[in-house]
Amino acid sequence: MKSQYVNSFYQATQDVFRLMLDINLERGELQVIEDMISSKDANVVLGVTGDLKGMILFGFPKKMTLEMVKIMSGMEMDRIDGFVSSALGEIANIIGGNALTTLAKSHYICDIVPPQIFIGEYKAVSMANEKALHLPLMTSIGEFEINLFLKEKE
Amino acid sequence: MMWKEKYKVGVPLIDEQHKELFKRLSEFIQVVQSKIPWEEKLESVRETMLFMKEYVIIHFEAEEAYQEKIKYPGIERHREVHAAFKEEVNSYVTLFEQKGLSEEKAQEFSAKLMTWLIMHVCQMDQKIGEYVENKGGEIQ
Ligand SMILES: [Fe+2]
Repeated sequence: MKSQYVNSFYQATQDVFRLMLDINLERGELQVIEDMISSKDANVVLGVTGDLKGMILFGFPKKMTLEMVKIMSGMEMDRIDGFVSSALGEIANIIGGNALTTLAKSHYICDIVPPQIFIGEYKAVSMANEKALHLPLMTSIGEFEINLFLKEKE
Repeated sequence: MMWKEKYKVGVPLIDEQHKELFKRLSEFIQVVQSKIPWEEKLESVRETMLFMKEYVIIHFEAEEAYQEKIKYPGIERHREVHAAFKEEVNSYVTLFEQKGLSEEKAQEFSAKLMTWLIMHVCQMDQKIGEYVENKGGEIQ
């Protein structure tokens, strides 16, 4: 998997966090992982189709998720309900859309499948024995992760 | 309070309408999220949602008219984005009219509205302000 894919998603995440939440990201160490498992409190999966195929999994802890939605809504949130999880899914969707715009400039034309949200569910995403990349990200409101599995169309 | 100073575009007409838009959105979210049984708040959810929808249309039209007036070069793209969003809003309203308002869908709709509007105001609408400023800021 090319670092360019990771960078597009990292850059898009950073832009959206700054723009919408006024939060800066600090990048942790990129790791190769065998399985893509949604193991955080709130997980969003974006499917990617087109010149690149695969999926992006965002994982957020509960406290951070509630804080993100509080920053946007100006309202105190006490649990991850339909409102909070939909807002999180939309943020991921916007990040994905922006990342694909960057990739399109390098002539990878892709589409995003609407986000799937898993709350407190441990779910393994099948990758047919391929490896994925795991990028931890630190912020002032908590630590979250992006897992990427993307393959070029043969 | 949903409104933030950073949402300011620098054009009084647009900023006033954005403030109103976020106020109505905030009211809508508060009603949807209030801890009252769904059946009891259904009517006020419907009302605030329709208010919201009407105001989105009024605002988009005013913002587009302003862009036309100042001969804003990004107007076509901006119109397309507004139109796509109006369509999305309408699809929810149609769904509610046909199948009734479920709590789950109302939460989804209000969350999407919030996220979309914040992103749009922070990104696309800011460019209108930048254009005006580059022109010397004299067009109101
Ligand atoms: Fe706009």
